[in-house]
Amino acid sequence: MAISTAAAPRRYRSLQLGRLGRLPIVIPGFLVVWSLMVVLPLLVVVAFSFFQVKYYKVVYQPSLDAWISLFTSGRWLVAVRTLRIALTMTAIELFLAFPFGLWLAKGCRSVPLKAFIITLLTIPFFLDPSSRTIVWRAILGSGGLINSGLMHLGVINAPIEWLLYSEFAVHFGMIGSYFPTMVFPIFMIMSLIDDEYLQASADLGASPGQTLVHVIMPLAIPGVMAGIIFTLVPLMAAFVEPQMLGGGFVNLLGDSVDSALRELKYPTAAALSTVVVAILAFCLLVLILMTRKRFDFANMFTATHR
Amino acid sequence: MIGNPRLQRLARVDTHQLDQRGRYWRRLSGWSGWGRVGMCLGFFAIAMIYVPIALLALMSISQSPLSGIPYPLTLQHYGTLLSDGRWLLPLQKSVIMGVVVAFTCMLVATLVGRAITRMKRPGGVLIVSLIPLFVPGLTMGAALFIFLRTMLDLKLGLWSIFVAHMVWALPFALLLVLVVASRFDLRLLEAASDLGANNWQRFWQIEFPILRPGIMGAGIFGFLLSFNELLRSIFVRGQETTMPIYNWAMAASQQSQVPIIFALATIILLVTLPVMSIFFWLLFRKAG
Repeated sequence: MAISTAAAPRRYRSLQLGRLGRLPIVIPGFLVVWSLMVVLPLLVVVAFSFFQVKYYKVVYQPSLDAWISLFTSGRWLVAVRTLRIALTMTAIELFLAFPFGLWLAKGCRSVPLKAFIITLLTIPFFLDPSSRTIVWRAILGSGGLINSGLMHLGVINAPIEWLLYSEFAVHFGMIGSYFPTMVFPIFMIMSLIDDEYLQASADLGASPGQTLVHVIMPLAIPGVMAGIIFTLVPLMAAFVEPQMLGGGFVNLLGDSVDSALRELKYPTAAALSTVVVAILAFCLLVLILMTRKRFDFANMFTATHR
Repeated sequence: MIGNPRLQRLARVDTHQLDQRGRYWRRLSGWSGWGRVGMCLGFFAIAMIYVPIALLALMSISQSPLSGIPYPLTLQHYGTLLSDGRWLLPLQKSVIMGVVVAFTCMLVATLVGRAITRMKRPGGVLIVSLIPLFVPGLTMGAALFIFLRTMLDLKLGLWSIFVAHMVWALPFALLLVLVVASRFDLRLLEAASDLGANNWQRFWQIEFPILRPGIMGAGIFGFLLSFNELLRSIFVRGQETTMPIYNWAMAASQQSQVPIIFALATIILLVTLPVMSIFFWLLFRKAG
């Protein structure tokens, strides 16, 4: 009797886990919940941009009001500005990250130094964005570190005003924030390039430059693309930097979405969000078409994730 | 055609030009300093990350933080911080939220990660689960707000912050578990069964110890990502305030609150930086 009562729950438990092991419910269940949390909200946003607001209530009638007001109110200029700043910053990060990723993967021979640098690059993902950004005010402001230092040295007589609350300040503040997302994929793909390829290329008489252009660059394309995507995506919705360092002069899509939601203009906010997603989809498409000949996308996911 | 003398001359001119170009190119590309240039570019970017953080700590003990000049030094901002106390509740909420998100991430990522590695064609599920990585945080926050508040007319609060944090943290947690789980040799499980282990023992004694680094990583990532999440929380917070929202609101609106924010951020950094440094150092040193 005692044996059977002890054995029954265990058998039941192992039966349950055995089912979980083969997982008839986990994946479908996860997909349903995940779709409700992620996919459906995104689809609803696109749909919402075609409704209108009357007396602070959403009227479920098809309408292009939100899209028309996007153009008449000049908010589309914000989208263009956001795209320009996002692309500029992506180019700057790529310029900084590609040589560095190559050096870190192939040039840096000291393992502790490599681990130290990777640690330094990982930590920023977990830091509070607003307190990191607000410090730039103390550095760039008209009474801040750079201006008072330069004035003390006698280089300038009056503080340089464009250092803070300008597009320059926003760009400057973004350099550090968006660097790790660009450098990590590039570093990883560079590490995967076999050293013997580089040796073979040199043995066959290629100069380092030729090795770079004909061997390293084609092999590094997936990492570079992943870096561009992971940097461009958050840049398109940058919010903290323009708000804290732009001083109201650098209005980007993030602020527009925020202010539209505050004014209860839900369709406008939805249309702006749709613009962000559409621009990103377009950029992705262009990137894919540009590199399709050199690189097979279907293999990217199967190769990296088993 | 082969014996065409003009063609030969063209070819000779071509190789000559190529030689000329090649020589400069070769000299330029053979320069040994390129590695150092790459290193310096990266160190510049890393300095752009850590100089503000160092200044944050310095400014928190200086008289007038926004002037950028550290002297005279003072601890008065920490005193104000301690007597203020409004930040305690947001901090408490953020810590609890982080722990809950961490444990949920560990559980879900383990279940789903194991399942994905046992699928024949995991591509579709993988892409769907990684969608949030490709959607800007602010867009995701606005989408969740419009869906939950405007369309479903629900009362937002800590639960919706939790949903937003899960949307953000789970893809990372899943990737971490997948990296470990995809290296897992399924024959080990067969061996365990052959030796008479039941499913429960097979999981706890064979599979879990091997997956543990990935699961622990998922928990740590879950906590840290949730603890610092701002862009999504802003929209779906309802009346609630977490630590990053508190910092953001104070920094964005009230100049007089900035010194207190500096002090608070410094304390949080002093606690989290050593923990993170040791954790990642151990993680990457092993991997490297």
